[in-house]
Amino acid sequence: MTSEAAAEERLALSSDAMRLTLAGAWHLAELPTLAALLARLQPRAPLTVDGTSLTTLDSAAALALLRALAAVGLQHDAISWQGFSPPHQRVLDDVLKRMAALAEAPPPARSRWLADIGERTSIIYGQGVDHLSFLGETLAAFLEIVRAPRRLRPRELTAQLEQACLNAIPVVILVTLLIGVVFAYLLGLQAEQYGANIFVVDGVGIGMSREFAPIIVAVIIAGRSGAAFTAQLGSMRLTEEIDAIRTLGLSPMQVLVVPRVLALVIALPLLAFVGLVAGLVGAALVADAMLGIPPVAFAERLHGALDIKHVWAGIGKTPVFALAIAVIGCRMGMHVGRDTRAVGLATTSTVVQSIVSVILLDAAFAILFQELGI
Amino acid sequence: MNAHAPVIEVDGIVTRFGANAVHDGVSFSVARGTLAALIGGSGTGKSVLLREIIGLHHPTEGTVRVLGTDMWRASSADVAAVRRRFGMTFQDGALFSSLTVAQNVAVPLAEHTKIAPEMREHLVRLRLAQAGLPADAAHKMPSELSGGMRKRAALARALALEPEILFLDEPTSGLDPTTARAFDALVRSLVDNLGITVFLVTHDLDTLLTVVDRLIVLASGKVLADGPPREIARLDDAWIRSYFAIRTMVGGSPDRSDGS
Repeated sequence: MTSEAAAEERLALSSDAMRLTLAGAWHLAELPTLAALLARLQPRAPLTVDGTSLTTLDSAAALALLRALAAVGLQHDAISWQGFSPPHQRVLDDVLKRMAALAEAPPPARSRWLADIGERTSIIYGQGVDHLSFLGETLAAFLEIVRAPRRLRPRELTAQLEQACLNAIPVVILVTLLIGVVFAYLLGLQAEQYGANIFVVDGVGIGMSREFAPIIVAVIIAGRSGAAFTAQLGSMRLTEEIDAIRTLGLSPMQVLVVPRVLALVIALPLLAFVGLVAGLVGAALVADAMLGIPPVAFAERLHGALDIKHVWAGIGKTPVFALAIAVIGCRMGMHVGRDTRAVGLATTSTVVQSIVSVILLDAAFAILFQELGI
Repeated sequence: MNAHAPVIEVDGIVTRFGANAVHDGVSFSVARGTLAALIGGSGTGKSVLLREIIGLHHPTEGTVRVLGTDMWRASSADVAAVRRRFGMTFQDGALFSSLTVAQNVAVPLAEHTKIAPEMREHLVRLRLAQAGLPADAAHKMPSELSGGMRKRAALARALALEPEILFLDEPTSGLDPTTARAFDALVRSLVDNLGITVFLVTHDLDTLLTVVDRLIVLASGKVLADGPPREIARLDDAWIRSYFAIRTMVGGSPDRSDGS
């Protein structure tokens, strides 16, 4: 349909370049062809444009025509329009009227990379400060609840506990069991070479209880509950539910944040313990199958080698991890921008921030325990 | 091409949600170049009907033809081709929140045409101007716009491909009266100047009485009345009387409440 010959018939310029004849369908779908044809012509003033044989003229095509004429220095007043049907003339007038307003708006200034780095650094710093102040607000709200325990919402707390703790048990068991299997297997490969099979139990026991179980479980929960907190509170903010809570004279901190933080602080140590047991079971399976250590011998050795202080050191860290995850998740949700995209960005950011902060806190604990000789 | 051929034909639409029948044989057609409005009480299925017309919700029975294509029996390629010939704006704009206003308007152009980027930019600016947006709105994100501006940006995106029909869902809801009237005038000028057919769902009496050519009233699953707004306002039906009664209380009879 848009063959060259057919296209030529759409547009013809008289030999003196002062009469332009348009014909056929001038609409958006034909714009690339029409624009190419228009670019080839060099009409002169005073120009007459004849639209008698046009069948269609839409505003996109009219814009292309007017821009092509303006490009060769022909403004509206140098052109006489002839034979346009009333609907086509209206389209043309509509576009003409707006041509003046089409001046390009300057795009917003592009920032340079150095400024970018500075900006991002100050955002990260600002967020750290905000998280700390939010932690303070949460503690203040919590203390108020301690003073007036009737303000605690047991329903919200148990609902959150179910979500964050009970429903997380299968995935925690699955992951830590597999970590136990892999850990014991890799340790066993080395220990076998020296005939030191039984020491695998010591290694797995101490490793799982001090580091692996708490860290792995905290990372799972950061991805699961931290992200959920941000998404839930973020969409509640979008739908103005949080504002509604405020106008009803309730405190969103007490109604929404404290139950979530409390639930996670209770849930994470319990889950870490579940994870520790599952990891040890995984290790015992490998020890039995690969290293010739029957489960009873495994348990006996574990009893002797694993001092209870290691378990306490591992589990003891987890409420702090939980506090960091819950505070970051809730704050990111409560302060999310008021559009859907912001909720997505905030959720991503929550997961990254909470995993990084769990690792940083763990490093701090390692130094602390070292100094305390635990 | 017959200038007065119907561009929207709805025939015997029945919609049931479980045992609950929302539509029980809805039929009407809309001619090219008219500004038609669909009204009805809450729960009469106006939005559902709109979604059925544009092919987002499958009616239980009946046919819908848009620009001659049966939206529920034609091949998906044919339906996609028709979709490029009409535009739709949703209640809250439904702008893509990760793109600027200009990028939002450019999406259909980049997706469905081979227009050179430079020309596309100018076309985007024309669309923004046609929707009544200032030039500096182009680089804003949807979250930075007021409700009225968001509706205009959505209109600019719906206009991008030079549609033959525009479907507007509650175009003036949530706007202040001044902005709403300006939006009405804008929609009217699209019909008059660009020859676009507009089909809108609204509750705004001012829109109905000042710019709309034709009113379709939906009640108890059927078309209760169909005609020019002024004639409909005179009909002797309890629901229609109460619908227009508020207007009569404020501005005298509907005949004298001419907004021009």
